[in-house]
Amino acid sequence: MIDVLPPFTLYLLGALLLPFLPKGHVRGLLTIVVPVVGAWWIWSAPEGLHGQMTWMGLEMVWMRVDKLAVVFGLVFSLAAFLAALYAWHLRDTVQQVATLLYAGSAIGAVFAGDLVTLFLFWEGTAIASVFLIWARRTEGAYATGMRYLVIQISSGVILLGGLVLQYHDTGSIAFEAMTLGSLGTWAIFLSFGIKCAFPLLHDWLQDAYPAATVTGTVVLSAFTTKLAVYALARGFPGTEILIYIGAVMALFPFVYALIENDLRRVMVYSLNIQLGYMVVGVGIGTELALNGAAAHAFTGILYKALLFMGLGAVLFRTGTAKASELGGLYKTMPVTMVLCVIGAASISAFPLFSGFISKSLILSAAAHEHHNIVWAMLLAASAGALIHTGIKIPYFAFFGADSGKRPKEAPAHMLLAMGLTAALCIGLGVFPSVLYDMLPYEVDYDVYTTTHVITQLQLLLFSALGFALLMKAGIFPMPQRSVTLSSDWTYRKAGPAVVWYVGLAVRASWRGTSGLIAKLYADFIKAMHASAGPDGARAANWPTGAMVMNIAILLGIVLVVIFVS
Amino acid sequence: MAQFKDDPEKLPWLGRKLMLFDDKKNVDRLVYGLYALCALLFLADFFYKKKYYISAENFPGFYALYGFFACVVLVLCAKVLRRFLMRDEGFYAPQDTESEDHPDHDLGKESHYD
Repeated sequence: MIDVLPPFTLYLLGALLLPFLPKGHVRGLLTIVVPVVGAWWIWSAPEGLHGQMTWMGLEMVWMRVDKLAVVFGLVFSLAAFLAALYAWHLRDTVQQVATLLYAGSAIGAVFAGDLVTLFLFWEGTAIASVFLIWARRTEGAYATGMRYLVIQISSGVILLGGLVLQYHDTGSIAFEAMTLGSLGTWAIFLSFGIKCAFPLLHDWLQDAYPAATVTGTVVLSAFTTKLAVYALARGFPGTEILIYIGAVMALFPFVYALIENDLRRVMVYSLNIQLGYMVVGVGIGTELALNGAAAHAFTGILYKALLFMGLGAVLFRTGTAKASELGGLYKTMPVTMVLCVIGAASISAFPLFSGFISKSLILSAAAHEHHNIVWAMLLAASAGALIHTGIKIPYFAFFGADSGKRPKEAPAHMLLAMGLTAALCIGLGVFPSVLYDMLPYEVDYDVYTTTHVITQLQLLLFSALGFALLMKAGIFPMPQRSVTLSSDWTYRKAGPAVVWYVGLAVRASWRGTSGLIAKLYADFIKAMHASAGPDGARAANWPTGAMVMNIAILLGIVLVVIFVS
Repeated sequence: MAQFKDDPEKLPWLGRKLMLFDDKKNVDRLVYGLYALCALLFLADFFYKKKYYISAENFPGFYALYGFFACVVLVLCAKVLRRFLMRDEGFYAPQDTESEDHPDHDLGKESHYD
């Protein structure tokens, strides 16, 4: 029945075994070994459908191996490995187990060949990941985790509803490319959209990720959202609406990324923007565009992990990742700074860095298909990415106004994890064919043409010029301790306020009406008492004998009725 | 804004080298370098044959001007919107981590000079 075990089983075994191992390096080693073995497992799995079984009449496929699934499976394994290395110091069983189950669920979902299996792992990622937020163990983290969980589980429930409708319509639960139309497909699309942080469905991302632990945010940044991109690429390639959704996604978080104070949250906005590129790629749906989406997910996971690791190291040493509290760290954390700059150069897509080789595929795909406005939006977003991430993060964390903080350099294992990730970012940028060969379709694309390199450098350096001039003129918004209003205000403030006021109104009107009724009733009784009670005017005129007569008549009627019936 | 005097002897090698940016003149030199590089890149557009798919791309210096103005306009938008969107750090407290200190059990705070 099952010929190739899905890699998820390996992660599950690891998670079950971990609590029984002695605390310390042995557990750390396990979290590192599992992704390595898992990657080898994925690499050596033959293409095709494996692990098929029938469950309650449903044809389930636990492991579908093809190029699209393998590229995501491998980068997820790589991310799990790097995150585990970065978390070598961790002595928290909950986080270690949660990380294994979370990575395993994400990989399981990538290889799911049917919607039911996808749903199981989809919920698995939600439940496992929330523990990385709760691991902070503060009141705020608990509340944030709850909000996160509600939204993640809702996405799963909507997926479940969608798959039931889809099964009803088509008689199949196979997870293949779908066309938007029926309610079922729309529900599945919406469920993917929530996890992919579509505009206005995105706030859970910025809310939850920076609330996790130092290491937890690194783990979170890799899986859920890229799983959603995979699901869209699998289920809805070439769906036109995605082009416009993605273009908006790539541009509008700019404002937030620029004014946000918490640098880890700035990174999450930046992540959201990068997802926008991938969504555009999926929406265009040509081979070049789908390759671009997969490639951008691959490079994106790495350079974002690198930046989250760098900011995590700063947080680890100083206790804060807020731009307003940092600055001047480059003297005592120079290695972390250099590695962060490599991440920043990669996300800004400088030539010879990884972002360049993947973002270019998507931009070229948009230009080739003559989506001119979308192309222009993506180009502006590229210029923006340099400002809000490429420059803002290294500048305010390591340079800028001196905070007087002189933290020690990050621990060796963190530097090693960051160093490896940075090497991958540069390696992929210099040798793009390594990544291109793994992509779902054959790549016939030369990224290092004269035009391309020069135009990209022009775009980036002139944006940097813009930053330098705005900074000199004192116009650039300096970081301040603050939170920024977004659409999550609706359910964090407005919603509860509406409920509170509605509650107040209901309570007031209930008290008012019930009080009024009680008063009317009391008045009626009093009036009756006054007129017909012992002291009433009417009672004074009634003789006692009249009462006896009345009772006698009543008894007589009862007797007649009983006799007749 | 050097509120803190560093002891170059105690800094790591790279940090000591980078201390040259403590001098404002060197930062200015860096910015002038950027101006020069931008000028060169703009001129470079006239010396090769551009391969393009969208006609606007062929306009000399299109990418340079677009990058510059896109970023300036976006930053100005952000600056205006910030007035309406910014709230106090404790706005969502206590159901929010923003106003909390990061708990020590998750940290390894150490100062370089200890």
